[in-house]
Amino acid sequence: MNSFEEINIGDTLGPLELFVSKDQCRAYARTMGMGEGAGRFTDDEAARKEGLPGMIIPGNMSLGLLSKLVTDWIGSSNAWLTRMSTTYRVPVQPDHTVTIHGFITNKNPEDRTAEIDVWMENEESERLVTGTATVEFRK
Amino acid sequence: MSTILDLHTHSEASEDSRAPVEAYLNWIKLRQAERPIDGIVLTEHRQFNRDADYRHLEDKFGTLVLRASEVETTYGHMLVFGVNDDMVARFDFADVRLDAQILIDEVARMGGIVVPCHPGRPNIGLYEHYQSRPPLQNVVAVEALNGGSRKGEDERSAELIAKHGFAATGGSDSHLVSLIGLCATKFSAYIKTIDDLVRELKTGNYEPVDFRPRRKTVPHAVAMETR
Amino acid sequence: MAVNYDPALINKVFEITEPVEVKAEKIQRYCAALGETNPIYTDEEAAKKGPYGGIVAPPSFAVTFRNGRHFFENVPRFGMRGFDAGKDVEFVAPIRPGDNVTLSSHVKEIYEKTGRTGMMVFVVIRSTLKNQNDEVLAHIDHRFMNRP
Repeated sequence: MNSFEEINIGDTLGPLELFVSKDQCRAYARTMGMGEGAGRFTDDEAARKEGLPGMIIPGNMSLGLLSKLVTDWIGSSNAWLTRMSTTYRVPVQPDHTVTIHGFITNKNPEDRTAEIDVWMENEESERLVTGTATVEFRK
Repeated sequence: MSTILDLHTHSEASEDSRAPVEAYLNWIKLRQAERPIDGIVLTEHRQFNRDADYRHLEDKFGTLVLRASEVETTYGHMLVFGVNDDMVARFDFADVRLDAQILIDEVARMGGIVVPCHPGRPNIGLYEHYQSRPPLQNVVAVEALNGGSRKGEDERSAELIAKHGFAATGGSDSHLVSLIGLCATKFSAYIKTIDDLVRELKTGNYEPVDFRPRRKTVPHAVAMETR
Repeated sequence: MAVNYDPALINKVFEITEPVEVKAEKIQRYCAALGETNPIYTDEEAAKKGPYGGIVAPPSFAVTFRNGRHFFENVPRFGMRGFDAGKDVEFVAPIRPGDNVTLSSHVKEIYEKTGRTGMMVFVVIRSTLKNQNDEVLAHIDHRFMNRP
């Protein structure tokens, strides 16, 4: 990543294309101890009983993937993701390809922070999860 | 002289957005070639802030910033343009079950105009309500293009507009800075104030404009092989 | 007309959760589940040379500390089904292996809104994560959506 001085409003992060399989989704749910009552993240049938189109990816997993776009961009440099806000607009289904986009939309020289729009969209270009990230560049 | 305005936007004053108005205006300047809009109308959810003042930003960027509201009614979400003290006193903007017909008629009587937004959206759009209940009276225009539409929603809006002969607007419904101006409305008149906007919305002399990048081709739809 | 709820719910403070120990192995499994390969989260040697002087968890790991009974049993419910509608997380300090993390929470806001799926009641819970040294690790606003 470049330094705070070198980044510009309008710069892009990604896009990153990801295929999230049902098994990856189940692995995340299990790792996080989402056992009972979390059938919607592990089982198509249980998800349909709740009126969903099938298994969905946990919101926290989407938040993790959006955050990863930002932390990958930071790499090992001395910057810190200080804030991430997400809105889950449309359920994200596994076994689909999603694309994660990021745009730098604002820079604040006083506290050396940058604001970044992030979102995840499906094959139809529908935005499923949207978010805003703040990164602080430390000296 | 025409004017292109994004009639449907949310800033950090809405509970589900973190977008500062200044960042919107800066983004418009940055993307002027792709999204040539002259101004935005802030339509914060379920509220109208009388005291918000964006004149210093209008001066800084040379972009018009007007204020309206997006409210929730018995027939879905609607944009209220020309909000004044009478309307604020008459209606609880936070009420998510406002009577749509009373809202449309009373706002018109008090000098404003109500434009149902994303009519093709399930549950909160006019189209679905018209399937099971009588149509509303005195609707002049509805939002034909919405930047947040899912597949099929703008198509249902178009069907409704064709059937009822509504005038048609466009707005990005942006909650993120980089999504401002993706859809907008092109007026044949010069608009500089909220009164100009309300007057023009009543005439029907405008059309929705779409600045969304072309949707990428769905992979499985492409059967061609290149060698 | 607004959503009916006991006004005493607002600012209701939940009992602080039992400390949860952050095991290095749990961070590794979290990284694996997200396809995380950044060495500052996964490689002890490389992480020592990085900005935190050792392995830290990816920032988003902070949202996974809500599993304790004390949390979910206290979240006010409206209607039958609850969904995660969104988060607003402030990452204050890195979470490290060996940390013992507690969660203190209160009800911040309750409001109604209508969406593609119908009438919804939103409940916002504000949580603060602290480690064993009483240092704040993160503040999290959990936005829960309830449907009839």
